[in-house]
Amino acid sequence: MGIFEFITGRKKPSPGALAKERLKVALVQDRMKVNPELLELIKSDLLTAISRRLDIDEQHVEILLAREDRWDKLKAEVPIKRQKISFEWDPPAHTTAVTGLRGKVTVEVEEDDDSG
Amino acid sequence: MESRVITITSGKGGVGKTTTTANIGTALAMQGKKVAVVDSDIGLRNLDAILGLENRIVYDLVDVVEGQCRLRQALIKDKRLPELYLLPAAQTRDKNAVNSVQMEQLCQHLRAEFDFVVIDSPAGIEQGFRNAIVGADEIIIVANPEMASVRDADRIIGLVEAAGKPEPRLIVNRLRAEMTRRGDMMDVADVLEVLGIDLLGIVPEDALIVVSTNKGEPIVYDKRSRAGRAFLNAAQRIIGEEVPIDEVTEVPSLLERLRRLVGFGPALAEKRVRS
Repeated sequence: MGIFEFITGRKKPSPGALAKERLKVALVQDRMKVNPELLELIKSDLLTAISRRLDIDEQHVEILLAREDRWDKLKAEVPIKRQKISFEWDPPAHTTAVTGLRGKVTVEVEEDDDSG
Repeated sequence: MESRVITITSGKGGVGKTTTTANIGTALAMQGKKVAVVDSDIGLRNLDAILGLENRIVYDLVDVVEGQCRLRQALIKDKRLPELYLLPAAQTRDKNAVNSVQMEQLCQHLRAEFDFVVIDSPAGIEQGFRNAIVGADEIIIVANPEMASVRDADRIIGLVEAAGKPEPRLIVNRLRAEMTRRGDMMDVADVLEVLGIDLLGIVPEDALIVVSTNKGEPIVYDKRSRAGRAFLNAAQRIIGEEVPIDEVTEVPSLLERLRRLVGFGPALAEKRVRS
C-alpha cells in the first residue's frame, strides 16, 4: 500500500488510466467545442436553477465533461448542505381547478444524520 | 479484381505512417498482389528511403500530375518484389504543388494498373492530408497508445467522416506490452474505447524497426521480428483473411521474468530482440 492509498483510502490511478481519463475529457471538449469558459457559464446557470430549490454548497460544485459508454456526458456533482431542505410547490396557473394541492412541503434533516 | 486505394494517415507526425505504408505495401506484394505505394508527403519524402529506393528516383508525383512525364516513367520498381512499385514524392516542391482534383485523377490512373494503391499521407490536417484521402476507398489510421497521438487520431476520424469516406480502421503502433501490463501506458482496449473504430492490427515496439530502416529493407522480410509479423498479419486482414488479433497476448516467459527480477533485464531483453 502506497502513501497515497494509505491517506486517501483510494488506489492511485495508474499512469495509463490517468492518460485515458485526461484524454476522454480533452476529446469531449474538442468534439463539442466546449471550452472552460462556457463550462463556467453552464455551471453558474445550473447553480442558479438548483439553488432556487435546494440549499447547495456552491464552493464545492464540480462540473465536467466525460465520455462513458460511447456517450459524451456533462457530469455535475452538487453537494447539498445539511440543512433544512424546503420547497414550495405551486402548480402552474392553468391548473387552477386543483387548488387543493397548493401548499408547502418541508423536509427536516437531522443534523447528525448521515443520509443528508 | 476490383482495385483498392488505401490511405495511411495519423494526424500526428512520427507515429509510424511511412513505416506502416512501406510494410503494408510490401506485405501485400508478398501475397502476390500488384501494389503501388505512393508518397504524398510532398517536400519531405521518406518512403523511398524505407524501401531502399532513394537512389533510383528520376521523376516524381508532381512531375506526373504536371504532365512532365508519364505515370509509368515515375513508377520505381522494387528491388525484390516484381509486383511492387513506388511513386515518390517531390522533394524540392512545397506541399501545395498538387491539388485535390489532380490527386483524385492520379488515383484513377493508378487504379487501372494495380490491385492495391497504398498512399502515405503527410502529418497534419491541411491540404496535403486532404489530397491524400481524396481518392481513397479506405483509410487506415496509425496511432501510438499515448494521449497526443490518440487525440489527433480522433480529429482525423471526424475529418474522414466529414469527407464522406467510410469509417477508418486503426493500427495501434509501437505498443509496449510491458508498460501496458504495469498500467504505465494505455492499452489497446483503452484506445479503442476512446476512438470507437475497428482494429486492423497491433504492432509492438521493436528495436529491429530501426535496423530495417537503416538497411532500407521493410521489417516484413524479417521473420524474427514481432513488428514484421504484425504488419504481415494486418496486410492479410486487409486482403480479407481471418487472422486472429493475438499480438497483445504475448507475455514474457517465467524464466525471462525471473531474469529481470534478478537484474539482468535490459541487457537480456536486448539480446532477445537480436537473437
